[in-house]
Amino acid sequence: MGFSVTTLVFAVIGIVASLCTRICFNRGPSSNLFHLTLVLTATICCWMMWAIVYLAQMKPLIVPILSEGE
Amino acid sequence: MGEVARRGCCPPMDLFRSEPMQLVQLIIPIESAHRTVSYLGDLGLLQFKDLNADKSPFQRTYATQIKRCGEMARRLRFFKEQMLKAGVSPKYSTTPVDVNIDDLEVKLTEIESELVEMNANGEKLQRSYNELVEYKLVLQKAGEFFRSAQSRAIEQQREFESRHLGDDSMETPLLQDQELVGDSSKQVKLGFLAGLVPREKSMVFERILFRATRGNVFLRQATVEDPVTDPVSGEKTEKNVFVIFYAGEKAKAKILKICEAFGANRYPFAEELGKQAQMITEVSGRLLELKTTIDAGLHHRDHLLNTIGAQFEQWDVLVRKEKSIHHTLNMLSLDVTKKCLVAEGWSPIFANKQIQDALQRAALDSNSQVNAIFQVLHTRELPPTFFRTNKFTSSFQGIIDSYGVAKYQEANPTVYTVVTFPFLFAVMFGDWGHGICLLLAALYFIIREKKLSSQKLDDITEMTFGGRYVILLMALFSIYTGFIYNEFFSVPFALFAPSAYDCRDLSCRDATTVGLIKVRDTYPFGVDPVWHGTRSELPFLNSLKMKMSILLGVAQMNLGIVMSYCNAIFFRNRVNVWFQFIPQMIFLNSLFGYLALLIIVKWCTGSQADLYHILIYMFLSPTDELGENQLFVGQKNLQLVLLLLAFISVPWMLLPKPFILKKQHEARHGAESYTPLESTDESLQAESNHESHGHEEFEFSEVFVHQLIHTIEFVLGAVSNTASYLRLWALSLAHSELSSVFYEKVLLMAWGYNNVIILIVGLIVFIFATVGVLLVMETLSAFLHALRLHWVEFQNKFYEGDGYKFHPFSFSLLDDEE
Repeated sequence: MGFSVTTLVFAVIGIVASLCTRICFNRGPSSNLFHLTLVLTATICCWMMWAIVYLAQMKPLIVPILSEGE
Repeated sequence: MGEVARRGCCPPMDLFRSEPMQLVQLIIPIESAHRTVSYLGDLGLLQFKDLNADKSPFQRTYATQIKRCGEMARRLRFFKEQMLKAGVSPKYSTTPVDVNIDDLEVKLTEIESELVEMNANGEKLQRSYNELVEYKLVLQKAGEFFRSAQSRAIEQQREFESRHLGDDSMETPLLQDQELVGDSSKQVKLGFLAGLVPREKSMVFERILFRATRGNVFLRQATVEDPVTDPVSGEKTEKNVFVIFYAGEKAKAKILKICEAFGANRYPFAEELGKQAQMITEVSGRLLELKTTIDAGLHHRDHLLNTIGAQFEQWDVLVRKEKSIHHTLNMLSLDVTKKCLVAEGWSPIFANKQIQDALQRAALDSNSQVNAIFQVLHTRELPPTFFRTNKFTSSFQGIIDSYGVAKYQEANPTVYTVVTFPFLFAVMFGDWGHGICLLLAALYFIIREKKLSSQKLDDITEMTFGGRYVILLMALFSIYTGFIYNEFFSVPFALFAPSAYDCRDLSCRDATTVGLIKVRDTYPFGVDPVWHGTRSELPFLNSLKMKMSILLGVAQMNLGIVMSYCNAIFFRNRVNVWFQFIPQMIFLNSLFGYLALLIIVKWCTGSQADLYHILIYMFLSPTDELGENQLFVGQKNLQLVLLLLAFISVPWMLLPKPFILKKQHEARHGAESYTPLESTDESLQAESNHESHGHEEFEFSEVFVHQLIHTIEFVLGAVSNTASYLRLWALSLAHSELSSVFYEKVLLMAWGYNNVIILIVGLIVFIFATVGVLLVMETLSAFLHALRLHWVEFQNKFYEGDGYKFHPFSFSLLDDEE
């Protein structure tokens, strides 16, 4: 799974989640917008965190050096 | 994130702006005023303005009613005290009582006088009962003295007589006879007192008596085994029975005084044995009688208190409602004709219909001929801030409100805080084991929500319970970031794929010296499990978490500046868009946005470039060649452009805005003198409000200094706030190190001994350390740091927070106030 594929997965999850909130908690346009904002913010935050950690490990400058004991 | 915010500005989004409010005026006929206010209190959507602020509480129209309500509340408090003493608890019944407040007042007065009388009688009876008990004790104990003394005296007499008869010779001194004669003559005058004295005072009592009478006193004491109820104080005390023999009236007076000073109760005591026995029987009989009387009285009182308890809650609610209604009525001003009350207050626009309905119902129910008049006033006063929150969003709104209540219709950070607050918390608290523990705690509170919300909780539980949904989201995000950090109580799991690293060759000889090599694709989700426990773990995680903190910080600060754009657009403040939002955006992103870009480029290309070096020399010698630190082509030119932009944006922020404001002010002032008169109604109100506004002088120097401070704050803040986000790194590092120390040094060490007892002890220590340090202390510290990041680093970009909260007159809020 590369970077773009997982990003796509995040996007799909975000869309599905916003549709779910739309269907399950449909309480008028302004509430829906609020829910959408929450879901999108959460998705973006989670994606950012994942992307940062993934990118950092893509081209390693430091490699794991096992401890003497192991 | 930016798009979301900008779209939020166009259609109204829940919670993003506070509810539009209006100042309304109600003209209520006086006969329906009480009912109207009561219905509005049920509705709870109108904040009354105090129109009699200049009057003292005693000068107001309904002062007497409030006094009556206060008196009733005092009676109810008295009943509650009495019930508490008697151990009767008020019952919570939901059936509403249909009782008039006037009837209730009469009833309360009756019950109070009845109760007071009962108490007084009961007290009197109890007192005499206690006195009798003491008396009986004195009779018994002192009787013993006398009996023993008498028997001894008889013995002595006999002995003396026998001696007297035996050696009735010349040797017997003549004086002895005289002495005896003298003695017997004195004996007649010997008096005595009997009573009870508290045991701890008895020694001092004796000493003082001895000194006061110069030793001419004889005191006998006997301890009473069981503590005796003192009739005066009503407390149980340990006492001694005493009998004092004295000679002379003078000594008696002294002794009486001393007895009084020591709180020693005296009781009459007959010398003859027959009389004593008679008195004892008499006292016993009276004791029995009194006992039954007291019991009957207590029973009656309990019955009364029980009947009070059954209705106490309803009465209490009724009285409190009545009091608050009169308080509100006092805020209204009386019309000149004295037939109407005029009310002014803030209400959200959506409540118009409900308020009008309530007014109509009140007029109908109180058979008033005239309906109350409802009209909207125009004002320039800043309305209160009102967010319609639910049980989920209210705690998040509370986090924002404790920093400062939003200005009216200002962009509300809560919309993002609901997610970003728990998220930033979780960045510092990433461990899915701990996350699950936290989740269980949050779920416990949520499942027992109904039960707990009706109970009275102690402070800490109350706070945790109030923030249960915050904790829930914090836990969920912690579980997520725990998977990203790959930590379950600091133990990594290869859940998503095998580790990307492997030995260089089959022998694996250089794994501990040179290290492993990446052989597979990057670990797909989170930190590769192989890092755990390696020697290069810390350098790797430090670099990763530090860069992550900066990236997240830059993103959140950008979101903050975008929010300021939303505000500028909403309030149609073009100056702020052009001379605040744009230069701020340019400044932040040309320095720290560029840093974020460099970080990402470095990761993507795997370059060895030193980012510190690049950023420092971007300022020190921007024209120098980058050499090996070059990450991409044209980097030097880009840096020059960015540096130039950053330098331009500072005066851009500072200079134009004060001049434009000055110009705007002059234009408005100049134009104002020529504006045509508006309709009279409007101009009258405008004038009164204008006085404060129009005379506001435009101090250019003040505005300029203000802008200067803002600019300096932003420029310095851009640096210090970015650095402040590094706390994300520090806290998450501390968390993971602590949890791995507890795991390795406690649990694994205990496991190594192969001993069940040591293992159990180790497990207990591990659990306590995990709960106490990681789940409680670390949660608190991560919470506080997330709070700071939101209050300071995020909100100082856009949030003014100088509004005031909407406090509607509502009966449902009455409980919270007390």
